[in-house]
Amino acid sequence: MSQTVTRYHALFESLRSRRRKPENRKGLDLFAATAAMKVRHARVTLGYLRREAERIDALAPDLKKHSDRALDDVVRTVRESFVRGRAEVALVRRAFACVREVARRETGEEAYIVQLMGAVALYKGRIVEMVTGEGKTLTGSIAAVPLAWRHKHVHVFTVNDYLAARDAESRAGIYRRCACEVGAITQSVEERERAAIYARAIVYGTPKQITADWLRDQIRLGQLSTAWTGRALLSRGGAGATHPGAGGPLIPGLHACLVDEADAVLIDEGVVPLIIARARREDDMAAIYKDAAEIARKLDAKADFTIDHLRRRADLTRRGEHRTAQLSERLEDPIWRATRRAQELVRQALVARHCYLNGHQYQIVDGRVVIVDEYTGRFLPDRSWEHGLHQAVEAKENLEITADRETLARMSFQRFFRTYPFLCGMTGTAADASGEMQRVYERPVTVVPTNRPLARLKMPTRVFRSSEARWNAVVDSIADLHRQRRPVLVGTRSIEASELLAARLTARGLVHRVLNASFDKDEADIVAQAGRHGTITVATNMAGRGTDIKLDRESREHGGLHVMLTEMHSAKRIDRQFIGRAGRQGDPGSSQVFMSLEDELVRHQAPGLLGYLRAIAGSDELSGVARRQALAVFRIAQRRAEARGRRMRTDVLRHDDWIEKHMPGG
Amino acid sequence: MNDRPTFSPFWHRVRLMKPRLRPHVQITRQQYRGRRWHVVHDPTSNQFYRLNPIAQDFVGMLDGTRGVEEAWKASLQKFGDMAPTQNEVIQLISQLYSANLLACDTTPETDQLLRRGRERIKKKVAAQAIGIMYFKIRMFNPDRLLTLAEPIIRPILNIWGFLAWCVLLVAALVTVLPEWDRLAQGFDDLRGDPSQWIWVGIVFVITKAIHEFGHGVLCKRFGGQVPEFGIMLLVLFPSPYVDASACWAFPSKWKRVAVGAGGMIFELAVASVAAFVWVSGQPGDLATKLAYNAMLTASISTVLFNANPLMRFDGYYILADWLEVPNLAQRSNKMLMHLMQKYVYRLRNLTAPSSLRGEQAILITYGLAALAYRIFLFITITLYVMGKFFAIGLLLAVWTASAWFIIPIGKFLHWHASSPQHSEHRLRGWGISCAMIALVVIALGMVPFPDRRRGEGIVESLDRTTVYFLSEGFIDIVHKRAGDHVEAGEAIVTFINPELEKRADAVLAQLEEFQVQERSARAAGEIGGVQIALERIRVAQENLDEVRRMQDDLVVRAPHAGVIAGMDLESRRGGFLKRADPVCEVVDPSRLRVVAVMEQRQAAWLFEGRETVGLPVSVRFYSSPSTLIEGIGIPSVEAGQKIMPSAALTFVGGGRAEPEMRDESGRVTKRPWFPVRIEAENPADLIAAAFPGERVKVRFDLPPRPLAAQWLDRLQKEMQGRVQL
Repeated sequence: MSQTVTRYHALFESLRSRRRKPENRKGLDLFAATAAMKVRHARVTLGYLRREAERIDALAPDLKKHSDRALDDVVRTVRESFVRGRAEVALVRRAFACVREVARRETGEEAYIVQLMGAVALYKGRIVEMVTGEGKTLTGSIAAVPLAWRHKHVHVFTVNDYLAARDAESRAGIYRRCACEVGAITQSVEERERAAIYARAIVYGTPKQITADWLRDQIRLGQLSTAWTGRALLSRGGAGATHPGAGGPLIPGLHACLVDEADAVLIDEGVVPLIIARARREDDMAAIYKDAAEIARKLDAKADFTIDHLRRRADLTRRGEHRTAQLSERLEDPIWRATRRAQELVRQALVARHCYLNGHQYQIVDGRVVIVDEYTGRFLPDRSWEHGLHQAVEAKENLEITADRETLARMSFQRFFRTYPFLCGMTGTAADASGEMQRVYERPVTVVPTNRPLARLKMPTRVFRSSEARWNAVVDSIADLHRQRRPVLVGTRSIEASELLAARLTARGLVHRVLNASFDKDEADIVAQAGRHGTITVATNMAGRGTDIKLDRESREHGGLHVMLTEMHSAKRIDRQFIGRAGRQGDPGSSQVFMSLEDELVRHQAPGLLGYLRAIAGSDELSGVARRQALAVFRIAQRRAEARGRRMRTDVLRHDDWIEKHMPGG
Repeated sequence: MNDRPTFSPFWHRVRLMKPRLRPHVQITRQQYRGRRWHVVHDPTSNQFYRLNPIAQDFVGMLDGTRGVEEAWKASLQKFGDMAPTQNEVIQLISQLYSANLLACDTTPETDQLLRRGRERIKKKVAAQAIGIMYFKIRMFNPDRLLTLAEPIIRPILNIWGFLAWCVLLVAALVTVLPEWDRLAQGFDDLRGDPSQWIWVGIVFVITKAIHEFGHGVLCKRFGGQVPEFGIMLLVLFPSPYVDASACWAFPSKWKRVAVGAGGMIFELAVASVAAFVWVSGQPGDLATKLAYNAMLTASISTVLFNANPLMRFDGYYILADWLEVPNLAQRSNKMLMHLMQKYVYRLRNLTAPSSLRGEQAILITYGLAALAYRIFLFITITLYVMGKFFAIGLLLAVWTASAWFIIPIGKFLHWHASSPQHSEHRLRGWGISCAMIALVVIALGMVPFPDRRRGEGIVESLDRTTVYFLSEGFIDIVHKRAGDHVEAGEAIVTFINPELEKRADAVLAQLEEFQVQERSARAAGEIGGVQIALERIRVAQENLDEVRRMQDDLVVRAPHAGVIAGMDLESRRGGFLKRADPVCEVVDPSRLRVVAVMEQRQAAWLFEGRETVGLPVSVRFYSSPSTLIEGIGIPSVEAGQKIMPSAALTFVGGGRAEPEMRDESGRVTKRPWFPVRIEAENPADLIAAAFPGERVKVRFDLPPRPLAAQWLDRLQKEMQGRVQL
């Protein structure tokens, strides 16, 4: 049974969602809203979830007896009641039981009680924390069906295109038998196909793709406020338009969303708003950026300028201002005559030069600057930094300067997700961010217990005085484990670091594979191989989320996957995610973290304490009290980085809100 | 260095917009401290917005056909670095739009409009709740009334009218000043007569209405509109107000000053007229009394409140306009905050609220003065109201303290925790804040401060003789005055009584006549006649002795050595005294003591636990304030008296205690008092300095304690006293 969405319907729903303007609460209002949310969700305790799950489980034996056809009939009747909006408690239980049975028949996996608990919690609109490797995918697909029945369209968000396509495909059987069309929106899907996919009941996709489509819809809708006035828009699509979305919006409204890896999607990506931009044609600034980069190259650190790495800003000293004026004296462009504007350009060039590094924040691919996502380690090929920063980086790298882009529309992810009337999510690491989930999304966090005890061994963290010493120790450790024929996954923070380590491993004659943004084509293959005994995989954060490394029999016997983290990230959650690759679903595994006093995290976040650590560090590797204190300092630095991220996200939200409130047209 | 990034991430929101100023908006040009400003004014909604010339130029380009980006680029071409940045443009547009001064080509979003309306009301309510001391009730639009009235009095609203007003004022002053005693007497009468107070209230409201009319009519005279009249509950007392803010758009600062001063001008005129009525009226008449009330309220309240620039009344606006410093109060607060951020927290990248030297000095001075005044006002009003209605006073104190001090401090702390400026040095910032709080806590809670209680007392003598007059006569010569020392038998006053002389002469003549009778009877041998004559002579002799004695007693002499006290004979020179009238007192100065009287409530805990030991006390004399006597105060057992040792301690004698109205002697008080006997450390000093019967100031010195403990103690005791009531 396929669902059809008329263009008029899509327009109507889209406009209806558009009118939802989430409000950013402050002070007492926020307090009241949080209290109200707590009261609303007070009933959904772990005990309640367990009881519900057991009741659902009790329905299973009966359903198991049904033939395939009989089961389909049951599903159909349940679905029809749902669609008519008669979702009583008993019916909901029955629905879950049906979907569970369907999933069992389709994939051979029967959901455990804890997975059912998670699914019910999702259905109740909660953010669910389940330990990594507990089968979140199955939990999500069981919850997605009743949600789709109830809310018409469900968007399931994953962190990357690979996961979106994989999950949509692997779950299609379940959904089809439950009368839900499924589709995935990935980078590669053509725009003309998208409207058809969005019309389906369950749509997988990344936040970037779906938010961008939504924003484009908003631009397309212009100032429309009612569907009546929008008929002209529809007719503009013309009679010749073959696909349903022509002229009108692609997305038929925002109804419900289920966010996989909720903390990554809702929190980490919340820092940078999504921007739809197009190249500006009118003014050519290429020469100006080159000149600015040239001036920045000639200025001396400390004497002429100071760099704040943390905030990524540069300040000119008196001498620097003077020299800027001198150096720009002979330049022709009138922009150099305006002192403030000239200094701004030079400061930007300095930031591009000192705060943005190849292999860290970006990578040069085919003569283009491609941004690397800080959290997922993936390329963001469509995006560029704003207000000339991108051009300044290009000028620094002596590449061809692309045209400056002008913003057409902009939306923070926080705002986008709050536009959904129904939001739920799951993740392996939500508890660390539960405060923010409550404040921003008004969604409480539920921690669902593990099904099987965790068999992952955590080995003591090692701290080194210099980065060099750390890499040596890492390579030694890898060689050691390789000899034990165990598979090793090594996490690095940047592309540059992953390549550096790869070079060292090659020098030692260790065969390995590198998974970073440059090799994302081979991702599926590398991940599939990573669990084989004796495999060494060096990966950036790309392997951090949703990557399911299947072990072969031999490696399981040798002690399972060993995960090494060579540097701490700016949030504990990211570290936990990466470490969570080992010891999945009761598999054996182990993990270890390596750090050095030269790491970016401590250098930027706790420079004062770092001096102290250097003073007490005796030999190359810290031990005893010094090691313990170093661990504490790293934790402080990480907390500071987390707080900073939180503040930045709040700022984004606040700015967004201010603009919405004060700008004409809303 | 101050960051003004050229680009804004939200530029796309305004870039293509084609806004324009609403057609009915008026722009006037004003000068402030030599700089040009443009005031955008919407007469229908009475919204104002002040633009600098560059912003004005930019807004001027927004004519509904040009896009924002186009106008911005033109502005960049024209002004270079001085041109507004994208952020500033967005700010400007949003503010003008929020104030309904800007029309946009976008369809207005109903949701947004409604939300904005809701928020405006919310803000208004919140402002009212915080400023409960100035509660406004809007009543009607007086514009039509003023439009009718203004032409009638327009002929006097000019320089001649002003001169005439000056003459009127001077004339009124000249008339009233000679009647000063009556004026003061009238005030005392008023204070003692509650039936008059309701009239004072009525007259107050009427004079204030005239005051507001003055503002309105002057505003009208210069072309402004006055859209609102209402009643403001000023510390719960109703007082009319008008909205004459239209004058802010007047280009000439003198016109703005005139509107600000208009109220006082009219009110003082009323006071002057009332003064004439009062001077010429019949005392005791209702009309005269009303005139008196009008004169008093219209002049005193005007001078105390309206003219005071430290409160947000007329004086403030006049001062701000005159100094050409708009938003004086807010900006001076910001200036103080800025100084704090700059010098205490040592933050960089700050923008001062003003870049002009002179203006900065004004802002700082005004800010400090206003702060000091605010604290002073808070304490006085609170204490006064607490004295009258304790619970309301306490409530008011808590409310005002939170509105004036706690909320601003809380906001400051919040800013501290969340401002991006601080993120670099948040730890240091918190350190400084904590250090400051610690400093205050230590200063109030740990450093002992002298704890003093003040009161009044009187010098008493234990050994005193009243000298009575034993004769009759007029005071002639005063040998010794009050305070003079006399030896035993020394003459104090000499009286004169011519009648006594005559009587003596007459008695002498009689005596001689009787003696002649006796001699002639003896010669005639009439035994009976001699007997009679001798009897008569005896009687006459007795009479003579009596008269002689009375003549001697015309000189009043000291019965023993001592100091003269009591009545002031010098001023009664020529007065007549009957027999047995007291002339003066002679007191023995070696036996003086001071009795202090404290209010029962206060004294009870003042001496708690020290009933027998007493408290150190210092005594100062009203007659010679430089003399200081130290001693120990010991509470008397006769506590709770309502009779003062002397009338000098009540209002009647100039003292502090409130006397019972019905009492004639002036010694009976309303509240119970508590006598404290003071033993001088060095009695000789007391004898040298004190005059018996003199009123003195006493100060009890409690052991030094931290201020917080003192305040807490006082509050607690105060509460105890009230709870019993």
